[in-house]
Amino acid sequence: MHAARGRRHPGGSPPPIRPSRRSLMLGAGLLPLTLAGCGSDPTISDDPDELVMWYWDRSASPELLEQATEQIPGTEKQLRADTIGTNFDTKLRTSLAGDAYIPDITYINSNNALYFTNENLFLDLGELGADAVKDDYYEWKWNLGMTPSGRFCFFPLDIGPTGYFFRQDVFEEAGLPSTPEEVSSAISTWEDWIALGVELKGGADSFLINDAQAVFESFLNSSPERYFDTDDNALYLQPDSAVRQAWDTAVAAVEAGVTARIPRDRATDQNAAWSSGRTAGQIGAAWWTQVLEETAPDTAGLWRLASQPVRAGNSGGSFAALPHTCKDPEAALAFIMWINSPENQAAAYRDVQLFPSTPGSFEELSYEGDFYGEQDPLEFFSSAAETVPESFISTYETMIGGSFSLEITNVETSGKDPEAAWDDAIAQSERVLIKRGVLS
Amino acid sequence: MSTAAPARPSPVRTAADPSAKRKRKIREILPLYLAISPFYLLFAVFGLFPIVFSIVLSFMDWDGMGEMTFVGLAQYQFLITDGRFWNAVANTFIIWFLSTIPMLFFAMVIAFLLHQNIRFTKFYRVAFFLPNVTSMVAMAIVFGSVFSDTFGLVNSAFTALGLDTVPWLSSPWGIKVTIAVMVIWRFTGYNAIIYLAGLQSIPTDLYDAAKVDGANLAQVFLRVTVPMMRPIILFTVITSTIGGLSLFTEPQVLLGDSGGAGEAGMTIVLYQYNQAFTQFDFGYGSAIAWALFLIAAVFAIINWRLVSGRGDDSRRRAAATKETRR
Repeated sequence: MHAARGRRHPGGSPPPIRPSRRSLMLGAGLLPLTLAGCGSDPTISDDPDELVMWYWDRSASPELLEQATEQIPGTEKQLRADTIGTNFDTKLRTSLAGDAYIPDITYINSNNALYFTNENLFLDLGELGADAVKDDYYEWKWNLGMTPSGRFCFFPLDIGPTGYFFRQDVFEEAGLPSTPEEVSSAISTWEDWIALGVELKGGADSFLINDAQAVFESFLNSSPERYFDTDDNALYLQPDSAVRQAWDTAVAAVEAGVTARIPRDRATDQNAAWSSGRTAGQIGAAWWTQVLEETAPDTAGLWRLASQPVRAGNSGGSFAALPHTCKDPEAALAFIMWINSPENQAAAYRDVQLFPSTPGSFEELSYEGDFYGEQDPLEFFSSAAETVPESFISTYETMIGGSFSLEITNVETSGKDPEAAWDDAIAQSERVLIKRGVLS
Repeated sequence: MSTAAPARPSPVRTAADPSAKRKRKIREILPLYLAISPFYLLFAVFGLFPIVFSIVLSFMDWDGMGEMTFVGLAQYQFLITDGRFWNAVANTFIIWFLSTIPMLFFAMVIAFLLHQNIRFTKFYRVAFFLPNVTSMVAMAIVFGSVFSDTFGLVNSAFTALGLDTVPWLSSPWGIKVTIAVMVIWRFTGYNAIIYLAGLQSIPTDLYDAAKVDGANLAQVFLRVTVPMMRPIILFTVITSTIGGLSLFTEPQVLLGDSGGAGEAGMTIVLYQYNQAFTQFDFGYGSAIAWALFLIAAVFAIINWRLVSGRGDDSRRRAAATKETRR
């Protein structure tokens, strides 16, 4: 220490100007800001020929991504695909808010409505020429990618058409109709479905479905009307709204005793109920076929699919978007259109079971396996997808939907009076919407 | 290091020039500041800045992505009248109460037993500490299965004994008890190790004296061990209070982001997380965080009063004991 000090200050020459303690402290305090400000260029990739994509595991075919890493077909660019783990939305939002390290291409889950209020952060793919392939896709899915102001920012990836999964063996035991055709025609309305559930309970001591929230959401997912319209009118407040009908249907199911009263947060119990036959059904999306095969392998061959009451709905399914900072929008869109072409969506289904949003994909696909007996779930869901209604999911729905789920679960598990629960859900929604500046 | 500065004889030139003297002093101080600077830099970036920014955020409406709007005290006004927040406060305290008292009791008993001359003490110490370092996500699955309403071990045992089954994971009290059991399971061993360290610092002559006086094991425990352990007990009460007020992992992994049926397992921190990261209402999430800070501050003051009061008390008592022993 002493020797070092001696070396630095040879006698005679004046000591070099040193910062005062105050300026040193100030410097230390400002260092992080300096680092953030001019340390390095906050772009996600310095290579002008590299487009960076954010996605999550099993949302794209690894084989196709590999191909694009070499070269994106039809362009001079290469892709760098980064798997973003949990909290995808938080990370994407953080990069957009900080205006730094924003990917050129990003996948967005079925909650794309969350981004509507900040749609200016994403490019209008319609302007870039995405409409050329519009006819290849299910129209309702294409339109879910449209913001309320009519910009097409979210390109269709996969979809989640829904149907009623049921245990054929349990239905037989209860002496009920048990072939997919018979069940489909026996449950063409929600009233019929609940009535069948009462018979199921009497005949086999088994439940129609696990929880009331699933009834409520399945009803809404198959309804052309949801909470809001594109002009932000609160449709759910109107008498006999779709939300109210969904609520009444869920309450009727609870009161008829056909729900197993196992709320969704208890996944272990829900799975046990399906494996044991205590619950003999579920309204699930196409992607649930794999979930079921993995969670209840012992029940292989026992499950069948019937058309759900009224019409099929949609649950889940992702999108691709181009943030406003995208380095080369033309090449990025070319990539999105290429990886989501009917042929490549068929390949993605084979690789990672993404259910295609292009009807043309099904020509090349066939289902191998006998989990659903002789029935072909691909055929079932591809025809269900044809009947999914057009609907609009509002940003504000994501703020209040939880209040209704919470209250319907209260009705189911703690016997709360349905009218009081409805009023509480409405009041809570109103409070939240006023706070978020949606209502005044 | 500290010996270097004052004792060194200064050359005549610098002694005549006070500014040069100051500069030399800075040269001596500089390495010290540099040496401790990493902590302060990292703290400034990852501690101080988020704390200050969350104060700012609590007066804003922000979805974490778009423009921020200043809303004044609106978030706090909403908070005061928000039934869900007060439900979370009540849940947090009930779960804290249900978990802390049995936990500290069991910890004390375990520590007392470990302190005896038994075989394999080290094995037991490790065994009791293991739950504290076990992955909570894995444990949530185990607890979810054990307390499952229809398929759980506990309810199967109840049925076998001819008792009624309890809806552990769908009734308000069932949920709270289950979370409390998870907390007890996880932290009893940890507290037992702390108590054990405390027990080992109690002078053995006190026990010898008690034995000479003919005290039995229970009397030794209640009259010697517990009074001597008071500062350590207070320490564990404080850490348990901090842990209890910030309870998050157990309910989140057991019940998900919404706190289970009827939000019976919704704690303050879980509600904050829910609002900020699932509802993307960062303004309100920050307001909840600062409300929690106020609640924690109140408890810190209570604890501090208790500790300082008892501290004097026990010191006086210890002095008195010494006097009498002499």
